[in-house]
Amino acid sequence: MSISVRGVSKKFGSFSALDRIDLEIPAGELVALLGPSGSGKTTLLRIIAGLEFADSGAVEFEGQDISSRSARDRRVGFVFQHFALFRYMTVFENIAFGLRVRPRRIRPSREEIRAKVHELLRLIQLENQAQRYPSQLSGGQRQRVALARALAVEPSVLLLDEPFGALDAKVRLELRRWLRDLHDKVQITSVFVTHDQDEALEVADRVAVMNEGRIEQFGTPADVYHSPATSFVYNFLGNVNLFRGRVENGATFIHSSPTGSIIFVRPHFLDVSRQPNGSSHFRAVTKHIHTAGPLVKIEAVTEWGAPVHIEMSQERFGALGLVPDETVFVTPKESAVFRADSHPAAADKS
Amino acid sequence: MAVYSTRFIDPVNLMPLVLKRRSVIPGFGLAFGFTVLYLSLLVLIPLAAAFLKASALSWHEFWQLVLSPRAMASYRLSFGGSLVGAIANLFFGVLAAWVLVRYDFPGKGILDSLVDLPFALPTAVAGISLATLYSPNGWLGRLLATLGVHIAYTRMGVIVALTFIGLPFVVRTVQPVLQDLDREFEEAAASLGANRWQTFTRVLLPSIFPAALTGFGLAFARAVGEYGSVIFIAGNMPMRTEITPLLIVIKLQEYDYSGATAIAIFMLMISFAMLLGINLLQTWSGRQGRAESARGEPSRPFESLYVAEGGQ
Repeated sequence: MSISVRGVSKKFGSFSALDRIDLEIPAGELVALLGPSGSGKTTLLRIIAGLEFADSGAVEFEGQDISSRSARDRRVGFVFQHFALFRYMTVFENIAFGLRVRPRRIRPSREEIRAKVHELLRLIQLENQAQRYPSQLSGGQRQRVALARALAVEPSVLLLDEPFGALDAKVRLELRRWLRDLHDKVQITSVFVTHDQDEALEVADRVAVMNEGRIEQFGTPADVYHSPATSFVYNFLGNVNLFRGRVENGATFIHSSPTGSIIFVRPHFLDVSRQPNGSSHFRAVTKHIHTAGPLVKIEAVTEWGAPVHIEMSQERFGALGLVPDETVFVTPKESAVFRADSHPAAADKS
Repeated sequence: MAVYSTRFIDPVNLMPLVLKRRSVIPGFGLAFGFTVLYLSLLVLIPLAAAFLKASALSWHEFWQLVLSPRAMASYRLSFGGSLVGAIANLFFGVLAAWVLVRYDFPGKGILDSLVDLPFALPTAVAGISLATLYSPNGWLGRLLATLGVHIAYTRMGVIVALTFIGLPFVVRTVQPVLQDLDREFEEAAASLGANRWQTFTRVLLPSIFPAALTGFGLAFARAVGEYGSVIFIAGNMPMRTEITPLLIVIKLQEYDYSGATAIAIFMLMISFAMLLGINLLQTWSGRQGRAESARGEPSRPFESLYVAEGGQ
């Protein structure tokens, strides 16, 4: 079921949480709402769920305005960051809850409920944990139970609020791949909120990058990563070095003093050499070198005293043989230039 | 030889020698000793003295005193009235706690502190106020009399007084639990299609039940021992509106010390049995929620999902 958000605004006191949001989510897609805390992403999700109501604007499911319907009548599956599993119920009872509270005439029979719950337990791979209480499960297991509970009522859309936020790093990674697989299996329109750009880029079909109650960009992960619409998006998706500079005849010049443009360069787009090599380079002194991990991370200081982060492959690092406190020449291979007022000027790739 | 000791020391056999388990929190011995002393001075020794006093009676005399018709009537009123009062407080207390936690309204702070008033008021003052209010020519009593309802100097009056003094318990035990109860549980229930009533009975009630039961137990225990407020409103007619504590005082005034202690001990045993029952019920209901150690091994760390999937 497709979701349309039309001109939704929401204020908490004088704080504007959402400012005229428009968003079209096609049926069957998995969409991430990505942004820093306070960007309004959770508020937007809760408004779609009917747990919060917009001051103005409308939410439509499949073209039908459901803005005035309560959460109960929207048929949405909602997964909470801290699981919100019912403590006094077993895993089985938690998953069955949504079916058991239905009015009698549409409530499935006891056997149907049992069959449905077991089918879901198979899906989340917790078949032999049915009689346990949530407190006896690990975080990852609890979140899967919460997901199964939301899916039990066969919701028209699935909404997940920071679904992996309360889990540790390794479990997050496994669970988000699992969520992607699950989504491919169930094909239900899903929206999840996250502040973790890797999570959004890896799992989602489309990503809505949010900042200060607005959507900065809505596109595929490749779109938002490779062609960021605003400096915020570029900055938020991955590490980045900021330089003052200007663009002249398609060439980027980096300055030490403020100019009209801000030049963004990702750490792995900075090339390091021992000799000056042509047009646009600057001098830097290496300070710290971190060799653990797939990439070598170098913290250096530019000739005008600003810190700069550089990343390179282990092979390149091995060939260069860099040591700390060494003066090197740094050349940006690829950069993005935004005017200081944060609207896109030109994306320069050289 | 330098290679002496290690192989001869069997760590398994050494274990029982370690008498004291090291703990982060020091002073278990001192704290425990003080607790026992404190409880002995305040509770155990006076109670033992009561038992000692009663032991002057033969078994036959004891039962005759304790099961005399007048005493039996007083037990029925004391325990029955306390039970009714505690049940009334259970419902009203949960409701009041709910209102105080979940809604914002002007004067909330005043209402909140009103709840504690029955604690602060001398019970005699409460009894006199209630008696004046509900007596046939009092404000409320006059109105009720026209409907044929008499509160003061009847068993109803006893129940009113016992409800009054037990009011704060359930409110104060349930309130913090409700406060801590995350809104998310209600939202989860609503998004799963539960209506307000289902959310309340299936999600909220199980969470506040143990606390409500504690409040109920406290209100009941307090009501059983209540004396000051009841005697002013009860009328104190033997066999009809005489509570057990009053009967004990009457016995004392008649210098019948062994009779007084016999009734006291019998009352104590009934109270103890009832409180024990409430406690057991509470343990049982509390265990349902956090059954960590109750069933099998503790929760295991996350097993890889992909291993599990490969196995199917």
